[in-house]
Amino acid sequence: MKSGLRSEVFEKLSRIAGAISSPEVMEWKKKGGKVIGYTCSFVPEELFVAAGMLPFRIRATGSQDAGKADDYFEAANVCSLIRHTFGKILSGEYDFIDGAVIGGGCDGGRHILDNWEKSPAKIPFLERIFIPHASNELTAGYFHDQLARLKARMEEHFGIKIGDDKLRDAIRLCNEIRGLQRELYAFRISDNPPITGAETVAAIVAGSSMPKQEYRDDLKKLIGELKAVVVPEKKYTARVMIVGPGHDDASLCDIVESLGGLVVADLTCFGGKVMFGSVKEDGADPLQAIADYQVLIRPFCPKNLGAHPSINKELFAKIKEFKVGGVIGQIFLCCDTWGGEIHILGKEFRAAGVPLLRIERECTSDSTGQLQTRVQAFIETISGGAL
Amino acid sequence: MINVYSQLQMQAQKALGGLCLDPQNASSGPFVLGNGDFFIEIPAAYGCSFSDLTLTGANGTALPNAAELIDKGIEIGVESRMCNAIKVASYYLEAGLVRKPDLIITSNSCCDAMDTLGNLINGYQPWVDVPKFKMDAPHSFDEASYKYMGRQLRQAVAFMEDVFGKKMDWDRLREVCVLSNKQAQLLLEFQELKKAVPCPANPDFSRLGFAYDRWTGERVSPQITEWLEQLVSATEARVKAKQGIEGIDEKVRFLWQDLAGSWPPGLLWGRLQKELGAVCIMDYMSYGTLTPIELSSEEAMFTSFGKRFLLEDPMNRQALHTTDLFCDDILGIVKDFKCDAVVMPAHIAHRDTNSRLKIVRDMCRAKGIPCLVLGIDIWDKRHMTPDVAFDRMKTFFQSTGLI
Repeated sequence: MKSGLRSEVFEKLSRIAGAISSPEVMEWKKKGGKVIGYTCSFVPEELFVAAGMLPFRIRATGSQDAGKADDYFEAANVCSLIRHTFGKILSGEYDFIDGAVIGGGCDGGRHILDNWEKSPAKIPFLERIFIPHASNELTAGYFHDQLARLKARMEEHFGIKIGDDKLRDAIRLCNEIRGLQRELYAFRISDNPPITGAETVAAIVAGSSMPKQEYRDDLKKLIGELKAVVVPEKKYTARVMIVGPGHDDASLCDIVESLGGLVVADLTCFGGKVMFGSVKEDGADPLQAIADYQVLIRPFCPKNLGAHPSINKELFAKIKEFKVGGVIGQIFLCCDTWGGEIHILGKEFRAAGVPLLRIERECTSDSTGQLQTRVQAFIETISGGAL
Repeated sequence: MINVYSQLQMQAQKALGGLCLDPQNASSGPFVLGNGDFFIEIPAAYGCSFSDLTLTGANGTALPNAAELIDKGIEIGVESRMCNAIKVASYYLEAGLVRKPDLIITSNSCCDAMDTLGNLINGYQPWVDVPKFKMDAPHSFDEASYKYMGRQLRQAVAFMEDVFGKKMDWDRLREVCVLSNKQAQLLLEFQELKKAVPCPANPDFSRLGFAYDRWTGERVSPQITEWLEQLVSATEARVKAKQGIEGIDEKVRFLWQDLAGSWPPGLLWGRLQKELGAVCIMDYMSYGTLTPIELSSEEAMFTSFGKRFLLEDPMNRQALHTTDLFCDDILGIVKDFKCDAVVMPAHIAHRDTNSRLKIVRDMCRAKGIPCLVLGIDIWDKRHMTPDVAFDRMKTFFQSTGLI
């Protein structure tokens, strides 16, 4: 179900989210701007913004075929999100980026770097960054040191200087964007919001695929329009939350919403996780503030030992705030970390009486029919009747 | 030689099996449980027992009812393609079969599945009151990373001291490290002897020896040193006499670049030796790159602990780090141990190896090293039986002209 939203700015964000490259990115490049790709939401965009670059989250949106990536990653044993993302890299869809930073968040993900280095898809600047798997002062300090090393490598390679003032400016901009994204997200607290889950996903994903200032301005405009719009009365059959990896495309939201449900919230790598909290703006060391944010403030990833209590707290808060009627726990096949997390959450949801649909699937929309049947049954169950 | 092997095998399997499952097996001192490797010298010196639940799960896959245990692991609902050793460990945990520990130490080494087991342990409700310490193993191997890891291991000691109200006996820790260095040296000597042609010792020796040495928590025991000395001595004698493995006419030397399967070694490696003369000279669990623990200062000691943990523990070495290191090890082993071929078991659910196969294949092709990718489940012979693996390896050796 579409919200009926008529907005030029939304159409633009949706177009950007639905593809890899875009005219906006090409325009940035034409003006001499650099684009730096990155994987994993724990790679801080602030560093790239401070370098005057456009941070571009590498993703697999729209992929139906991992292509030659399956030569590098064994298809039955490595997550489809990784394979399809690498397939896009090999197919040349990311040729417009000037460099990439691969986050070592998960086993498959970090091997993108090794395979990229050995593949025909050459890239002049390719760096890895290890994402700590535990949250404490020592690990945040280690992450700071890695960021400092990465910053030095960027300065050397691109012939730039990333000063503390630029880092602080970047922190402020990214914090402002996170605040706006939370504002956009909160529309769905309402019973009859002006924007759906699928539309929100698009508007969030666009944020890591276009110039940041332009995105901030577009988001402000969109929020203004949404506040002003008169929403026709609609009755959604179920209010659903999605939890799990990926979520760079809205196919699962589309299924829920095509069946009369509404995806009101999520805790996913491309969704709800990216906008949580803020980086401290007045810290003496802005790089440490960024490291603290990623390691101590925002540990919502099951790769992080001990992250579960914070994931649990965040989810149950959202369930209450967004009046969630049921949760879809999505696991991509071969994603060990989310596989374990959804299992732990399942027990807690059961104890709390929160309905959970656990699905294992590939990141593509190949099996939409099967998925639709399961989601339909789930929505019927939680809405108390046949659709 | 046979007696040494039998003793070592019996002792290793007794020590490796089921420590944390058996509530009666409460050795002296507190019981520390981990999801994977810790630095065994620390609990050994502190006077507590340590058990690795992943290893317990892996041992479960060697039991007669392995298939049932794996299926029970699947039924509890973790990711369906997760490593079966972790599934069995998860089942043991959630079925309440694991003895309640006094302290839990988890880390992300060496893979996402073990990380997940760590989260299952940390989130296990009946153990909510058990103190927990979490370590972060970085995917890098430089001095800064060793120091970082060393600092965390030092913090783990402080945490143990706080929890148990007893200080570490630093002299004892140094004594244990001296013993550990001696045992590491013996393992390396044994490994060196295996370079001889024909290979003097059955492949299982080094695997069991290494596992025993690293994991049992009995490092303080002079028995291990004695047995390793006997193993080295007996193997030296065979090398001097130019004797290969008893009853084997060695024709092919291969590297098995993964863990050995949990089925009895005779089912595959033993049969390959006997019927084809194909000897597994090295597998990655047996490949030791140990450097001595530095004892000059506390900081130096913990930094060398960090190095051993991150780079010299076989599981961490092959999984946590770059494909370049993985490939360098393959080439180094092939050259030093005069291997004729590389077999990549490509254990299903081993995300790291399955993300490197093309690079390994390309490298082997460029170097003229025959390479076979099996795609086997080392924990579940229902996926590919040892007989099928035997046939595939036989065909491979035949087709590449090695036999």
